[in-house]
Amino acid sequence: MGFLSPLFLGGLLAAGLPVYIHLLKQHRSEPVKFSSTMFLERRTQSSVKHRRLKYIALFAMRLAIILLLALMFANPFVQRAVGSAGGGRKFVAIAVDNSFSMRTGDRLAQAKQAALSALSGMGATDRGQIMTFSSSVQFLTQPTSDKAELQRAIQGIQPGDGRSAYGEVSRTLRSMNQPDGLPVEAHVISDMQLTSMPTPFAELAIPPSTKLQLHAVADKREPNWFVESVNAPRSIFQPKKVRIQAVVGGAGTPPGELPVELAINGKVLETKKVTLTESGRATLEFFLPEAAYGLNRGEIRIPAKDSLAADDRFPFSIERKESSRILIVHDSRSSRAATYAAAAIESVPDAGYTVESLTSDQASNVAPSKFSSVILSDVGTLPASLESALNEYVKQGGGVFVALGSSTIARGKVPLTGETIRDARYASREGERFLTAGQVDKTHPAAARAGTLDEVRFYQISNVTTDKSARIIAKLSDGTPLMYERKIGEGKVLVLTSTLDNVANDLPLHASFVPLMEQSAHYLSGFDPVPADYSVDSFAELRSARDAGSAVDVLDPDGKRAVSLKESAAAQSIRLSREGFWELRRANGRNELIAVHADRRESDLEVIPKETLALWQGTGSRDGTGGGTSDQTTKPYSLWWYFALALFAVSIAESIFASRYLAAERETGNSLRRAA
Amino acid sequence: MMQRFLDPGVLASISGLELIAKTVVDGFISGLHRSPTFGFSQEFAEYRAYSEGDDLRHVDWNVYARTDRTYLKRYRGETNTQLTILIDASASMAYGSHKVTKIEYAKYLAASIAYMSNQQRDSVGIMLFDDEIRQFVPPSARHGQFMRVLHAIDKAETGTRTDFEKPFYHCMSFLHRRGMLVVISDFYAEPERVVKAMVPLRAHGDELILFHLLDPQELRPTFGDAALVVDMESGEDIEVTPEYMKTEYRQKIDGHVAAMKSEAQKAGIDYFMLDTSQPLDAALRDYLLVRQGRA
Repeated sequence: MGFLSPLFLGGLLAAGLPVYIHLLKQHRSEPVKFSSTMFLERRTQSSVKHRRLKYIALFAMRLAIILLLALMFANPFVQRAVGSAGGGRKFVAIAVDNSFSMRTGDRLAQAKQAALSALSGMGATDRGQIMTFSSSVQFLTQPTSDKAELQRAIQGIQPGDGRSAYGEVSRTLRSMNQPDGLPVEAHVISDMQLTSMPTPFAELAIPPSTKLQLHAVADKREPNWFVESVNAPRSIFQPKKVRIQAVVGGAGTPPGELPVELAINGKVLETKKVTLTESGRATLEFFLPEAAYGLNRGEIRIPAKDSLAADDRFPFSIERKESSRILIVHDSRSSRAATYAAAAIESVPDAGYTVESLTSDQASNVAPSKFSSVILSDVGTLPASLESALNEYVKQGGGVFVALGSSTIARGKVPLTGETIRDARYASREGERFLTAGQVDKTHPAAARAGTLDEVRFYQISNVTTDKSARIIAKLSDGTPLMYERKIGEGKVLVLTSTLDNVANDLPLHASFVPLMEQSAHYLSGFDPVPADYSVDSFAELRSARDAGSAVDVLDPDGKRAVSLKESAAAQSIRLSREGFWELRRANGRNELIAVHADRRESDLEVIPKETLALWQGTGSRDGTGGGTSDQTTKPYSLWWYFALALFAVSIAESIFASRYLAAERETGNSLRRAA
Repeated sequence: MMQRFLDPGVLASISGLELIAKTVVDGFISGLHRSPTFGFSQEFAEYRAYSEGDDLRHVDWNVYARTDRTYLKRYRGETNTQLTILIDASASMAYGSHKVTKIEYAKYLAASIAYMSNQQRDSVGIMLFDDEIRQFVPPSARHGQFMRVLHAIDKAETGTRTDFEKPFYHCMSFLHRRGMLVVISDFYAEPERVVKAMVPLRAHGDELILFHLLDPQELRPTFGDAALVVDMESGEDIEVTPEYMKTEYRQKIDGHVAAMKSEAQKAGIDYFMLDTSQPLDAALRDYLLVRQGRA
């Protein structure tokens, strides 16, 4: 028997603590004062022996807790004879790093060579498996004894764009329990990049039965320049200059001047020079005069060549498209609401909406389907043709925002949803004077950024008998619905039970009005916000809930289809596994260009210190027993688990015992000591 | 609502005996139903024929003018009782297992009774004793007497052992007028001896009310383990067991209370046992009932 962490045995010294408490600092019964002993008679405790026994038992339990704790941490083990099930055979696992940094120079070729030489040590009866790893581990073969197949797998390894994670490799090695008990010989072949180390070193631990051999294909940090990030708008609507910000940097590089290019659709438009300090970073700004309509492929490049050329360019996409149109239909008597709503929607920079404001008579022959969404602002009776067209528009997936005011109240029904308006509620001059919003559902996309609306004063509200299926987005403080959503067919209708005209409320004067209108327009138009940039191994959403069943096509950076037919109809998202431009062709005919870049932590080619590598290697088998060279070997069998169980049991017993023992003492003390 | 302010624990947090007395009495009175018996106002009660020695100021001259007879007009509040409160300030009174010790409870009770009597314009006096007379303020209805009494109560500190004979002997020699004596003590003495010391006063015509204060721990002690108990008066220590405290001690203390009550009744003395964890209103109610009977 031995101890894997014998230093923890020092904790046994703590056993002195209960000895001190119980034996040296012996319990003395403190005399307690009592008003009179007139009615007391001297009695001795009949169960002195019991008390003493209780006391000794408590002391023993406390001592046992300390001892067990120290022993548990010292991790005791016994050597158990393990008959080599494989009869000298072993399992060889070869993991080759194919992350982005392995594109540096000929590192991948060196790694393959190292893998082949590791494979040469595999005996005829041994089994082996080849895997590559970046952010996740990919098995290239099944466990096999066929060396030729394993060699082919090694030769077929291609460089990837992912970020290496050594924690993942160790996790995979930990899960490699061979059913036939074969010892594992693991070869990890990598450039040993420091940035790929997991934060807790414990994640690198491998089982003692595994013998780990690390093969480093890089031994020093190579200088490398890279484009770290680019900030460019995904969509533009106006024919104006587009500002593109880029950050370039160096890792292990000397100070110097570096040319940087902006290229759009393969054509270099501008070149700038930037001065970098040693391993420093610098920010540049480019102005794109006018982007062409449609999808534009942009790149920021560093023409100067270094050891890792792949990170000297950073892709980004810019789509120039027409603005979406929003129709506002208002009552012919007042256009105030339309003015406020249009100003709010159009004031958002790069929102991409143009607003068309018409009276209900003017809009009678307009086709709503030409608009991304429609706002009905306090309209009375709608022309039959418009009402019919709007009903059809909503059923087919359109979005309508309805604001209720005096004209709608006179009509008695909410347009499109048909809900009954019971009456109008006015805030009285003598009473509450105005109504306020009490509760806003922030989880609804339309109200997510509108704040609490608690400063808005509502003077008139329509009391609507809402349908059970309605989702209440905002309520007044007395619970009356202020804003709600109804789904009709494929479309949706947002109803505000007050107006947008700064008469029935002062909502348009508050800062929350702009995000409320903008988010409502986005929500009703089906506008899905997309991330500004994607890194390799992130996921792109392929369809929203309403697009279920519609086919989506994805083309990878090589222009090849990245999803199968089955996936194109059902997959919710796709993993962007490579750097470059990915094209998404959605069911509604919209095309999207997604620029994917490699994680720039891969650009820092600093290598892990040899001491750290030795520590990692040391977590596995040290004596070579993992190699399985002898038929009969011993294996340490840890006993800490049994000590932990015993510790748990003794702790529970001590708690119960001590609480009873101390409760008895405390009871006496509390009742009597106050008099002192 | 006001009942809350009669809770000894709450009173302990109030500084100033006068405020405590006012809080207790006003809270207690406001909790009572309106009763003609307890009126503090100068309420007309009856006419009484003038007899020699009566104060001429109280003669109803209007009646005299009409009937040519002299009558005195008497009021309900006009009882002119001479009240002396005796507080046992022996060491055992310092005992308390909760927020309020027995001596504090006795102070609150004495201050409240003094306040009520002062409201009725009675003469009030105070005597603090243990085995000696520690403080004595003779009964008086003079202006400022109430504050003198309160000051004496406030300064009360527990001393040593109890001796019931000295204070009552002292009372016999100082109190010539008949009056009322309220004794507040934990009565750790033989009931016969206590009552025997009071009998001469009773014979003198004085009304006696005994308030027997006991802490809940004294009535029902809860000992979890054997303990060494030290007598607060004598310093004698004695080891007791929980079994004893649960059984025999309780029987003995109950017997003592019963004996005190029985002996007091025999001597025509009103006796009330008070648990110091209970609100003061019970004590005040008992006092007023006795007071009503004597008015």
